[in-house]
Amino acid sequence: MEERQLRGQPDVTLSTHQQVERPSPEGGARPARKSAGRRPRKPEFTARRGLVIAGYMAPAALFVAAFVYYPMVRGSQMAFRHWNLTDLTDTSWVGLDNFRAVLEDPAWPTILGNTALWVIASLVPQFVIGFAIALWLRRNFRFRGLYQALIFFPWAISGFLIGILFRWMFNSEFGVVNDLLQKAGLIDHPIAWLAEPRMAMLAIIVANVWYGVTFFAIMILAALQSIPDDVYEAAQLDGAGKARTLFQITIPYIRTTLALTVLLRVIWIFNFPDLIFGMTGGGPNNETHILTTWMITITQQGDYGKASALGLVVVALLLVFSVFHLMATREKATREEKGARS
Amino acid sequence: MRTGKATLALGIAAAMLMAGCSTGPSDGTVTLQMVESLTNPARTKLLKELIAEFEQKHPKIKVNLVSPPTNQADQKIQQMLQSGNGVDALEVRDTTVGPWSTNKWLYDMSKDLKGWSGWKNLTENAVHASQDVHRKTYFVPYGFYGLSLFYRTDLVEKAGFKKPPANWAELLEQAARIQNKDKRQYGYAFRGGAGAGNNVVAAIEAYVADTIDPGNGYKLIDGTSIFAAPQALDALDTYFKLFKKASPPSSVAWGYPEMVEGFSNGSTAFLLQDPEVIATVGQSKAIKKDQWSTAPLLTGPTGKAVQPLATAGWGIAKAAKHKPEALELIKFLSQGEASTTFTKENSLVPILKKASEDDFYKTGPWASYVTMTAHPDVYVAVPQPRDVPWWSEWSQKSDAEVQRVLLGKMSPKELLAGWDKYWTEKWKSGS
Repeated sequence: MEERQLRGQPDVTLSTHQQVERPSPEGGARPARKSAGRRPRKPEFTARRGLVIAGYMAPAALFVAAFVYYPMVRGSQMAFRHWNLTDLTDTSWVGLDNFRAVLEDPAWPTILGNTALWVIASLVPQFVIGFAIALWLRRNFRFRGLYQALIFFPWAISGFLIGILFRWMFNSEFGVVNDLLQKAGLIDHPIAWLAEPRMAMLAIIVANVWYGVTFFAIMILAALQSIPDDVYEAAQLDGAGKARTLFQITIPYIRTTLALTVLLRVIWIFNFPDLIFGMTGGGPNNETHILTTWMITITQQGDYGKASALGLVVVALLLVFSVFHLMATREKATREEKGARS
Repeated sequence: MRTGKATLALGIAAAMLMAGCSTGPSDGTVTLQMVESLTNPARTKLLKELIAEFEQKHPKIKVNLVSPPTNQADQKIQQMLQSGNGVDALEVRDTTVGPWSTNKWLYDMSKDLKGWSGWKNLTENAVHASQDVHRKTYFVPYGFYGLSLFYRTDLVEKAGFKKPPANWAELLEQAARIQNKDKRQYGYAFRGGAGAGNNVVAAIEAYVADTIDPGNGYKLIDGTSIFAAPQALDALDTYFKLFKKASPPSSVAWGYPEMVEGFSNGSTAFLLQDPEVIATVGQSKAIKKDQWSTAPLLTGPTGKAVQPLATAGWGIAKAAKHKPEALELIKFLSQGEASTTFTKENSLVPILKKASEDDFYKTGPWASYVTMTAHPDVYVAVPQPRDVPWWSEWSQKSDAEVQRVLLGKMSPKELLAGWDKYWTEKWKSGS
């Protein structure tokens, strides 16, 4: 009873608000707010309300604490100890030695560069192609549902399996890629895709683009569906061309979704060793390793201390990136909002 | 009603607890927990059949076989061993016995097996492999993986050769003549990817066979590493020529699956592999039974080859609750029909002396293994130091560096100097 009273008032505003932004919680929100012209009133905060909120959050918070944060903290202590599976009778504290070993490893600069290349070169085509597919799927046409299902299919396959499939497809002698290129007359001799470091990097990125396009298509399509049709109609009446509609209506409307999906994808691509492991195992000559495949390799060697240190370095890098990314995108959005209000 | 349900629930819980205890009810039946590592469906089925036979002979022992997927199996076993319970008998590999015994997770069976009648039936290699340097027995091997040369009888003949190559130089000659890139016919299924280092070592060992330390395939009798020997460079010269003149260019990245596929689909004429590949090639639709066979491992300039003999076997966890029963199981699996069936169906080099009399091993692709066993002075079996703690680090390092040479970023000389330094320092540090 009390709860209802407490929640009753804001619920009304929330529910109307939610309808607009449902497809993408952040995406449609701002333009909707602009048109409403005022922010929803904040409910008064009392100690009692605080307790209620805490009570509701407790089960999830406890669960996450027990199964995510506790193991994480427990695991990270290995980074500061000599922790080698080959001899667990000695697990003494070694301070920052493991971090030093990571940063002083001759492979470190190459692998860091590879990681950046892997993320950027995978992300950009994934984004562009995914966006294009989403725009195309937004229109109504026959069998749209079927096309959607087919396009989303790769997302359901395990990364390791994709790696193995592409490993055979890119096989120089028996693979379908060279066969098609040769039949099309584009190359005379088979390309040794996975045998040459640069080509191998290209091959794993191609495979990753194939895999990741889907995610952008799904997310962007969901956001696109939140844009009301009348906005487009109005734009058409005002004589806006296709490009202008895209850059001045579509993109601003779904900017927050775009920013968040890019953030998510950067983190996921960064943490996606499966495909590389199945395809090249980091070779040839360790030149397709990224930080996370390297971490697995170190784990396989039994050096959990060094692997944990590398894991913490990865967390730190991603954290810094996330903060900058969120700050940059938020700044832009608030600046625009201010501009729109004044 | 409610009490009834509660009693029922309690009863079920109690029953589950009872079942969880491996000692079980009061009739004295013991349940052994057994974990395998190199799991595959056919092998698991076979193991279960053998276990059923064992259970029939020992009505008071039940065996519960746990079969984790191969690629995670050793890590799973490691976790089980670390937790200190849940494992009695387990599969121990030459690559895992080192770290696991260092961590005191394995039980030394040497005392229990003293005077065991089974010893005299085992081949010399099997007895040797069952003891570590301190004469402790952490596992009894169930078989060996030894290298032999798979070759295409028809292609060799067509190229004008009467016999398959017996040594590395002949292999280079024959493979180079068979190679025809335009027709996509290649000589040798070169290993440049995972496992590349192992095959390089096999070539080097053949070249230093006269002076190799019989107890350690990486050392010479004088105590230096095999990589420092001047013959090692000759070995690499021939071996890398094999890549340049007689192998598919993309084999820089070829691991086990590509090599086997390359031979099975008829693209390459030669393949250096373990006996388990006999079964795979036998199922090929591209090449018929009369188009291929195997020849003994390639020798070096002095006419000797060194067989690395990788192995695995059955051991007992130190924390095992039922050691005597687990020991019975291991004895059973290491003798008679059980052992022969296991090695035959898994294409392993047998551990029993009598197996070489079996027709199965005398004919077809298996004959080369009998030849090798019959001439131990030519095909010297020397264990590699696969039980050292740094073995997996070494495997990754050596694989990557072989690729560096193949890509022209390192010279064979630099490779050897680096490997010599690596092993000399490791041995000096004493572990």
